[in-house]
Amino acid sequence: MIQTVLKRDGRVVGYNEEKIKAAIRKAMLQTPLGEDETLIQKITDRIGVTGREQMTVEEIQDRVEVELMKSPRKEVAKRYIAYRDQRSIARRAKTRDIFLEIIEAKNNDITRENANMNTDSPAGMMMKFASETTKPFVDDYLLTAEARDAVRHGYLHIHDKDYYPTKSLTCVQHPLDNILRHGFIAGHGESRPAKRIETASVIACISLETAQNEMHGGQAIPAFDFYLAPFVRSSFIEELKKMEEVTGEDLSDIYNQEIKDYEKKTLDGLKGRQRAIQHAVNCTVSRVHQSMEAFIHNMNTIHSRGGNQVVFSSINYGTDTSAEGRCVIRELLKSTYEGVGNGATAIFPIQIWKKKKGVNYMPEDPNYDLYRLACKVTARRFFPNFVNLDATFNHHELWKADDPQRFRHEVATMGCRTRVFENRYGDKTSIGRGNISFSTINIVRIAIECMSIVDKDERIERFFSKLDEVLEITARQLCDRYNFQKTALVKQFPLLMSRLWTGAEKLSPDATIEQVINQGTLGIGFIGLAECLVALVGKHHGESDEAQQLGLRIVSHMRSRVNEFSERYQHNFSVLATPAEGLSGKFTAKDRKTFGEIPGITDKIYYTNSNHVPVYYKCSPRHKAKIEGPYHELTRGGHIFYVEIDGDATHNPQAIADIVDLMDSNNIGYCSVNHNRNRCMKCGYEDASEKLTECPKCGGHEIDKLQRITGYLVGTTDRWNSAKLAELSDRVVHK
Amino acid sequence: MTSSATLRILDIVPGTSVDGPGLRTSIYFAGCSHCCAGCHNPQSWDMNGGEEMAIDEIIAIVEENGFNVTFSGGDPIYQLNALIPLAYELHKRGYNIWCYTGFSFEELLDIDGIDTFLNLINVIVDGPFVSDLRDTSLRFRGSANQRLIDVTHSDRKHITIWHDDD
Repeated sequence: MIQTVLKRDGRVVGYNEEKIKAAIRKAMLQTPLGEDETLIQKITDRIGVTGREQMTVEEIQDRVEVELMKSPRKEVAKRYIAYRDQRSIARRAKTRDIFLEIIEAKNNDITRENANMNTDSPAGMMMKFASETTKPFVDDYLLTAEARDAVRHGYLHIHDKDYYPTKSLTCVQHPLDNILRHGFIAGHGESRPAKRIETASVIACISLETAQNEMHGGQAIPAFDFYLAPFVRSSFIEELKKMEEVTGEDLSDIYNQEIKDYEKKTLDGLKGRQRAIQHAVNCTVSRVHQSMEAFIHNMNTIHSRGGNQVVFSSINYGTDTSAEGRCVIRELLKSTYEGVGNGATAIFPIQIWKKKKGVNYMPEDPNYDLYRLACKVTARRFFPNFVNLDATFNHHELWKADDPQRFRHEVATMGCRTRVFENRYGDKTSIGRGNISFSTINIVRIAIECMSIVDKDERIERFFSKLDEVLEITARQLCDRYNFQKTALVKQFPLLMSRLWTGAEKLSPDATIEQVINQGTLGIGFIGLAECLVALVGKHHGESDEAQQLGLRIVSHMRSRVNEFSERYQHNFSVLATPAEGLSGKFTAKDRKTFGEIPGITDKIYYTNSNHVPVYYKCSPRHKAKIEGPYHELTRGGHIFYVEIDGDATHNPQAIADIVDLMDSNNIGYCSVNHNRNRCMKCGYEDASEKLTECPKCGGHEIDKLQRITGYLVGTTDRWNSAKLAELSDRVVHK
Repeated sequence: MTSSATLRILDIVPGTSVDGPGLRTSIYFAGCSHCCAGCHNPQSWDMNGGEEMAIDEIIAIVEENGFNVTFSGGDPIYQLNALIPLAYELHKRGYNIWCYTGFSFEELLDIDGIDTFLNLINVIVDGPFVSDLRDTSLRFRGSANQRLIDVTHSDRKHITIWHDDD
């Protein structure tokens, strides 16, 4: 006997026989013989009584068809079938419209959701078809009713929803030493352990590219310098061995000779062993430089993930003070400064300088010279960004200056900002771990809904109670996804779950990943703190101390709730200051439709990222740092502090260092400096003037203007979605 | 030295990267009589432009931002009498000071009382803007005739050009 019906959208409703009757009656009325109430009742009764306790809509309709075919009224069955087909086509019509937009290679917000992806290429289109069809599948079959409602009504955004059915995790920091030491198998090739710098740098690329296809987020290397340093020495020894072949002389006594710094110098006046060492150093430096150049080139040209996206790659470095590590850092920076191809700025990898006092920040520190070089490179090439190992929340109790493995205790970040460090279920480290999934709450909408409450205290209290409701839904949604993800088999993620993810080496290929997945984090993000505060108290946190205090209260509240979730559900939850590329316009469009245009809130087509001061608000870098700094400690899932500086940054690397100082003095975790950089595609002329349309050197009009979007650089804004373009044109410099 | 003097200020930019090394607080003084052709800021020529600010007020803004300081304009030198106590107070607090002027360094040296001022200043960017000599690749100056003069190591006979490692 049928009690409940499972609808197409996943909802379960009580069985209602009137619906079956109405459908049969409709079909009968379209036949010459018309309706037959007795037959209708007979069929309906039979289905109701003989059906299972819960049936889907399609199953019930199949039964109706069978019963009609068995009855004398076969012509009614035909009408009924024809009607079902029409409905089914109508339901697919929305998919058809989306498909047509993709096929016509139109520039719209569907195809420009992700600025790093070329959706015009066949591989890109294929991926977009898949992405657009999996999203409704997820809505209908994988989300709970409350999560689906929260998404439909614009309170919640589930990131990478198209990947939901694949059970993929978001991102990982690669323990590259594991790969380099043991080799790995990917595709049809087996890699042996690396022996020299060229191989090591290529294996680093392959590791990132392979893992990119097993996940939906970015790929990072947490200690690029430490990992590659041993191969500088082995390449040096290789150079000595080449000399041995030529001269027949045994040089093994200097294989492990201490080298002060791998720097090219003339051989003039050098004799014997000294000459051999310097010659080997010179050759090694050239090879390291070439390897770094190749690494950068590969990361910008080799398309992985569906064949249309380069890897969202990031590398962290700066704290290896050994001569070999310093050589890697120096040649990487030099190569980045020179640019790729004919000197264009490399878009990938995102480079992140690990700033630490006693290592590379104070003038007396061993890597201070490289830090100054890093500032100079950023002034021209936008990278490296800076992660602050000195921020109180980035400290690690076990870090010791003389520990060769100290990088294990250094925080590393994904370039986009995702931060994974604290760990309830193992060692506190960034390495071999990553985010599992994240979802973002539209705190602006919650605030707008409270605006009509006149009394301010009451309004704010109402906001907090609504926020709590959405936080609970979000936590449950993340747990649901987690429970789905943990059923993935190890063999679904062959590299990730053999060499990269913490604890994975113990798993057999046919096991599930359940034992190890809890090493990752579940992120609860938020967007539009500025607009939320305008809705609640009339001003944003950049312009009012009252708003700032409330902003801090809101995010502190989220953090403490998230800590409770960690206890309750036994996962690593964290608060994320959401970057939100595809998201920045979606919430706003929905909210404007519901609430109309509200000044300072829905009057732009985007919401301000996370806890940032609005991009259009004029203020000094110091003010921005003071306001945004305190949020970094609260958002352990990731955060970023941006400054837009005026003028030509290449003239003023000290200005970059001054911004790092602001990061230092305001306990900020991660920062990045934006500035203007134009490049003539014809002659290579570069400058920093605003709105350059004609090259002053050759008169060319193909000017490439670099911009940063959610942490990633983009040379052309063609692939930006409309909300991000609007945000870009509103950006003001901080001076 | 008195801090009660006032100056006419067009604007104070609390963190620019274009007026000398590092982020700087740039103070734009009202009034200029050089009338350079192609000046990008002719509204700054009015000696009565901007608004009156007390030295204490200006210092409070500089202290709030903590960056080194640049005097620009207009031409700050037209307000030399009140500029000296401001420069004195900032110098005393350890700020590095750059000053842009339309006068050449040599002309500057002929101005009464300039020595007291120059002793407080680290770098003078001298000379008028000459639009024919405009070059965007120059650091911290608009036209090639202008010089970044390291004041501490320069005098009437010998001018040292400022440089850094960047």
